[in-house]
Amino acid sequence: MSQKYRVGAGRLVDSSQPMTFWFNGRRFTGWQGDTLASALLANGVTLVGRSFKYARPRGIVAAGVEEPNAILQVGVGATTVPNVRATEQPLYEGLVARTTHGWPSVKWDVMSLLGRLAGALMPPGFYYKTFMRPQWLWHSYEKLIRKAAGLGYSPSEPDPDCYDKLNQHCDLLIIGAGPAGLAAALAAYQGGARIILLDENPTPGGWLRCSDDRIDGEPAERWVAKALETLVSAGNVQVLLRTTATGLHDGRFVSAIERQPPSVASAALQTRIKERMHRIRAGQILIATGAHERPLVFANNDVPGCMLAGAVSTYLKGYGVRPGRDLVVGTCTDAAYAAALDWLALGEGSVTVVDARSTVDAKLVSAVKSAGGRCILNAAVIEAKGRTKVSAAVIATLDLVTGIIDSEVETVATDVIATSGGFSPVVHLSAHTGQKPVWRKDIAGFVPCPDHPDVYVAGAAGGDFSLSGALAQGEGEAQRALARSVYRIDLGPDQKGRNVCEEQWPFAIEPLFHVPHVKPTAKAPPQFVDFQLDVTAAAIELATREGFQSVEHVKRYTALGFGTDQGKLSNVNGVAIAAKALNQSIEETGTTMFRPNYTPASFGVMAGRDVGGLFEPKRYTAMQPWHELNGAKFEDVGQWRRPWYFPKDDETLDQAVKRECLAVRQGVGILDASTLGKIDIQGRDARRFLNRIYTNAWLKLPVGKCRYGIMCGEDGMVMDDGVTACLGDQHFLMTTTTGGAAAVLEWLELWHQTEWPDLEVYFNSVTDHWATATLSGPDSLALLKGLTDIDLSPERFQFMEWRQGLVADIPARVFRISFTGELSYEINVNANYGLALWQRLMHAGADFNLTPYGTETMHVLRAEKGFIIVGQDTDGSVTPEDLGMHWALAPRKAFSYLGKRGMAREDCQRLGRKQLVGLTASEETVVLPEGSQIVFSKSTALPANMVGHVTSSYFSPILDRSIALALVAGGHARLGEEVLVSVGKDQWQPAKIVPSVFYDPEGARQHG
Amino acid sequence: MDNSQKGGSGIERFAQMNQRSPVKGLSRSPLAVLDKITISGENPVILEEHSLGQLVLRGQPTVLEAALASLRDLTLPVKALTSCEQDYDCIRWLSPDEWLLTLPVEEVFDVEKALRDQTSGHCAIVNVSGGQTVLSMQGVHAIDVLKKSTSYDTDLRNFEVGKVVTTTFAQAQVCLRRVNVAHFELIIRRSFANYLFAWIQDASAEYGFVFNRSDSQA
Repeated sequence: MSQKYRVGAGRLVDSSQPMTFWFNGRRFTGWQGDTLASALLANGVTLVGRSFKYARPRGIVAAGVEEPNAILQVGVGATTVPNVRATEQPLYEGLVARTTHGWPSVKWDVMSLLGRLAGALMPPGFYYKTFMRPQWLWHSYEKLIRKAAGLGYSPSEPDPDCYDKLNQHCDLLIIGAGPAGLAAALAAYQGGARIILLDENPTPGGWLRCSDDRIDGEPAERWVAKALETLVSAGNVQVLLRTTATGLHDGRFVSAIERQPPSVASAALQTRIKERMHRIRAGQILIATGAHERPLVFANNDVPGCMLAGAVSTYLKGYGVRPGRDLVVGTCTDAAYAAALDWLALGEGSVTVVDARSTVDAKLVSAVKSAGGRCILNAAVIEAKGRTKVSAAVIATLDLVTGIIDSEVETVATDVIATSGGFSPVVHLSAHTGQKPVWRKDIAGFVPCPDHPDVYVAGAAGGDFSLSGALAQGEGEAQRALARSVYRIDLGPDQKGRNVCEEQWPFAIEPLFHVPHVKPTAKAPPQFVDFQLDVTAAAIELATREGFQSVEHVKRYTALGFGTDQGKLSNVNGVAIAAKALNQSIEETGTTMFRPNYTPASFGVMAGRDVGGLFEPKRYTAMQPWHELNGAKFEDVGQWRRPWYFPKDDETLDQAVKRECLAVRQGVGILDASTLGKIDIQGRDARRFLNRIYTNAWLKLPVGKCRYGIMCGEDGMVMDDGVTACLGDQHFLMTTTTGGAAAVLEWLELWHQTEWPDLEVYFNSVTDHWATATLSGPDSLALLKGLTDIDLSPERFQFMEWRQGLVADIPARVFRISFTGELSYEINVNANYGLALWQRLMHAGADFNLTPYGTETMHVLRAEKGFIIVGQDTDGSVTPEDLGMHWALAPRKAFSYLGKRGMAREDCQRLGRKQLVGLTASEETVVLPEGSQIVFSKSTALPANMVGHVTSSYFSPILDRSIALALVAGGHARLGEEVLVSVGKDQWQPAKIVPSVFYDPEGARQHG
Repeated sequence: MDNSQKGGSGIERFAQMNQRSPVKGLSRSPLAVLDKITISGENPVILEEHSLGQLVLRGQPTVLEAALASLRDLTLPVKALTSCEQDYDCIRWLSPDEWLLTLPVEEVFDVEKALRDQTSGHCAIVNVSGGQTVLSMQGVHAIDVLKKSTSYDTDLRNFEVGKVVTTTFAQAQVCLRRVNVAHFELIIRRSFANYLFAWIQDASAEYGFVFNRSDSQA
């Protein structure tokens, strides 16, 4: 299909580079530089979607980010993107796009039938009303609504593209590279400050890209090109194009998303970044974001062919596309005349300018007339005719002062109606941190709040729509912004008198938002305010009649500005209509809150690189290569990846754990215990410090000995436990639980730094420095004996002692401590030797059938011994006494210890507290589910009082029966009693309360 | 191998241990299992791992200064975020009473002992050589990898040569030092080494990437 609406070259496109693309399955051609929207218009595609609520046909309205209708699905397969504004999507070879609305097709839409009936069915507050009455009907509505709604679909495959985040820092961030932004950057870079200049378009210049203005005697585009060249070569300026600042956050932090130049071959990207989030911390921020033109609100103003006047100019001049044959311009400002004159310059078709004002610059009117156009003053377009395409404009005389419309109307045949109701400065970013925009009557627009520390505004964003104003303010505000930094700008005399321009059309406006119809608003054809969510002027008036007076409430009741366009075109018109209906001024009405993001952001760019294998750090021990090579299954313990069990052949977890458990009980096993937290403690007062932190006594622990300790919070509840060894008289090595290491170090530092700074002690984390291999089982001594120079004879190296020596030629500290209840040696070496130690132990252990075991077996073995795991058998509400560990308390220590007062509270001493006990299910093969609730009797009244729960539960291979640990109310006094454990709905397993140590209660085995 | 200091009562105050094996070739730095890796690119980021001895020193400057100067000819950097280099040694400020000294791995134990002997007063000296590893990252795009990984401002104006900062890096921690304009040193915890290596490789991919081991077997 030829591009029959392409009428010329256009400044932004290159006709020598044609590109093929598909839209709704049809093949089209466009040019390099086109947006998807301009290419569609060039091919005469005017219908690009169906509206959200009423399924009305919709066409392209704008030429930029503010587009509410042309929201398309772009791409196929895993890289498809929903919610793409065709006006922002650069064309590329092979682009595939489709409409997102319209079921079953955009041209024949079942919903539109409903939509045409539906004005009454779907009034404002529709969703609230359907939620409420009657509720049961909601489920029927929902199916239909879900089908009708939605703006495209997400791919179900993983996204193959790469996303990235970059942290940026600068002295001045300039948002927008239009005339104001460029002038600012040209001034600011000379002071040496670090500048970031960003713009959402692929090329800088803003509206200068399509204007006939001249700066310094040259066409503006030449000035822009020179400016870019200067800035890029400056060295201290970073120019980011295709980059949208999406949020301005506290602390002068701006998020901006950079899109890479498009390509269909994204599968070949591999290392190429599709989108990059710039996280910019700026010293000062200059907002030069320009303004969005505002459409007029009139009857049937959503029929395809109704556009913004400025967009018409952009398509004509930038892309060489004339979106129709004839043009009617409806306006209340001078700006719209440009569209008429640009259209007339092509020499074909009729042009009618309908201006609501009574006095208009005579030069403008004569320019239109002399070019062959018609000008009607004191009049407005009150209605568009046509259904899927504009066929005519209905024009009536309007008195702007009284708002009275004449009933005599004239109908002018046309296929495009371009309107301009003035400009809305893009205030969004300035308002993201809560500063309310301020209404300016003279320009009929909101401007950024002037009292915004560190945020400066220049050009149209601040309400000055002139080119000279933009250039002067850009330079001036940049100077002002940097005046507080060390990089002051001092522009030399040679630079005075630059950036000189002549104004083409001075800005003049007489405010008009909602054009009255000859019929009352509610009876006239719908007059759309928010195209994306189908909010009409009548709906806003109804909302105010139903009692909604705050603009925020009106917004929520009608859904005004709720769409993905965030009401860029609709906000001010909606506010003006609400204000009029409430009989108050726009200042009094105010605007709704602006929130990030300015434009939709992909999940991909939010996630950045923290996906897949990098989603969360995985911490490994030095022995990891061996574990992987030998088929270990892994378990996440905090961020650590620990071997869970080591299956042989096709073993299941249960089979492997049984084998591993029996190997430790009857032979010898080896565990990688490197992940335990380790803290090196040095200082004259180390003992005194430990004595305060731990509940038991530490002052007299001799060098060479180890001691188990419990650490409690001030509330008396157990927070961590572990064995601490006395390495020297002023030197200790504390071990903590794997998950608690960081918290414990912080806890020690907190108490040292804030409460006991007088104690001479230093803490250093050595968790990663020591790799630990634990040999456990009756054969461990025999195995280790052949590998070490340490005297292992039980009388020379006793339980709870440590020794230093060589193990497998590696210097080691060996701790005779046990978490299995068997004779155990924990061998600690510098982690650089961890792998070699493990390999050498495994090699030497072959004769002993040395069996590697993982965390699951470790859990079973420790549970057989009744050894607790903090966080599994405790939950922050358990004292050492509740655990039956009175032996670990030293209440007569001279200095109190942390938790002493807490655990003495009445509630901690009352009868009936939950206490740790053992449980044996009456059926020996039944492993009680961990977490199961416990009751004392079946006749317990419902809802039952929860008297306890199972905390740990395993099948014990050595005992050949199931065992469990549980917290049971008054448990210590209930030994021998039977309880019932819930094992499913209405299913109860009787179990007996027993002591928590199931195996070798005398501890003979670990003492050797 | 018992070199502990004796206290007044004859009891050892601090345990010290020569942690190097008399057998060569048993030591493995955290990234030692990786082979040379190359992702082609015009200006690749070059990553190397160095096996160095590492000692954490804690104490007031007055306690440590003299010993450090006489033993290693190093000036203790008391100004925040600074470092001091001498031959193969480098000492970095970590906090007002905390420094990290890197030195040839074979000298760690002698220096640890000598520091203990030549200091009096409250201090801690801890060998952390196995717990962390030293990476060097070079290339014109090294700074871009830093920008992807840390929110600290690594521009030369804020992060000059010799400056040291301990900060977040991806989802882990790094002690970062600028060795030269386009040359950075990253000291990372051993258990995070695989994660951070994968992160750096991924972040470097668009520029190209080369990983070398310098001398991971000591």
